[in-house]
Amino acid sequence: MAAPARPSATAAAAPAAVNRRVLLVGLFVVAPLIAILLLNLGRDPHSIRSPLVGRPAPAFSLVPAGGGPPVTSEALKGRPLVLNFWATWCAPCLEEHEVLVRTASALQGEVRFLGVVYEDEEDRVRAFLQRHGSSYPSLLDPEAKAAIAYGVAGVPETYFIDAAGVIQAKVAYPLSAQTMAENVRKVRP
Amino acid sequence: MRRWLAAVLVLAALAAGAVAQGRGEDPARVVGPPRGPRLQGAALDARTAEVAALLRCPVCQGLSVADSPSTMASNMRGHVKELVAAGYDEDQILAYFERSYGEFVRLKPPLRGVNWLVWMAPVMGLLLGAAVIAWALRAPRPAPAAAGAHEKPGPVEDVPGPDSLPADPALARYVLRVRERAYGWPGGVSPSRDATASAAPAAPAPGSGA
Repeated sequence: MAAPARPSATAAAAPAAVNRRVLLVGLFVVAPLIAILLLNLGRDPHSIRSPLVGRPAPAFSLVPAGGGPPVTSEALKGRPLVLNFWATWCAPCLEEHEVLVRTASALQGEVRFLGVVYEDEEDRVRAFLQRHGSSYPSLLDPEAKAAIAYGVAGVPETYFIDAAGVIQAKVAYPLSAQTMAENVRKVRP
Repeated sequence: MRRWLAAVLVLAALAAGAVAQGRGEDPARVVGPPRGPRLQGAALDARTAEVAALLRCPVCQGLSVADSPSTMASNMRGHVKELVAAGYDEDQILAYFERSYGEFVRLKPPLRGVNWLVWMAPVMGLLLGAAVIAWALRAPRPAPAAAGAHEKPGPVEDVPGPDSLPADPALARYVLRVRERAYGWPGGVSPSRDATASAAPAAPAPGSGA
């Protein structure tokens, strides 16, 4: 009487064995992909980790908008520096401008602030600064050499450099008062 | 004398231009002194295009610095041209940009570290695919042979015949009733079974009693 049950049991056992093998191969392929996905889930896809963080800031020698002698990075050492790449055509730059100007005024004599103009014209820069005010110089980078040396991929981007000239942080989005305070803390003695 | 004066004037103008335009970092501080020959003219343009094709434009979606129409890519091409003209070789130029942008800036990831996976994954995928195909093609042949060799008596005995009944007694009773109705077998039992039980040789075909 138990005989008819046997073929069905054998038939059920065979696919189960194949499925286990397929499952293992599938896991072998899918598990690393899931691991990569989970590891990078919280990352902004537009942000690129800067290899310059923790390394000496690239040197530059740039002329300020409105004229004056070139500002060299060598001469800036000895005091923390906030280096902000921006442009007049960049709406998020306008958004963070007030935070930059206010913080630069508040930390005058303690932390140096400099703007570097990215893909823009001097006349527009001067007009922008007249309209919106500024408490620190903005330097012209007509061939984007400084931007390239700093690995700028868009604006705004801000680098927080300590008194020894080492980049401690890079922020690739508009600064709020809070992110500004958090990052300035990393370079203040 | 005039030639010297002209050369000095040109150099002074270039220096003034450099100051007015602004300077970035000295590449020699990053990647050492130039290792290749200084280039100019058509050779410079050709080499610039070759090296620019290996760099990813950071503001575009998957375009090389050579192909991108963006201002940033144009500036990067200009920078590559200066480096090529000064005698920096391909590795030095790629290393110079990599220092600022990371490995992301290389369109061809170099064979090192986890990048081996990127390069080897297609080969491994092909090998794995070939192995799966080979396994799938070979698997069915030994399977029936093995089943025949080891389980020969099993399936023959296990094939449900016209007289076999399910193990469940309730279901068995139902099957017997169906057989009785359908074939007119008394009690649902095949006459052949009776015949087999009484005289084995004269077994009629199943269903002949209907």
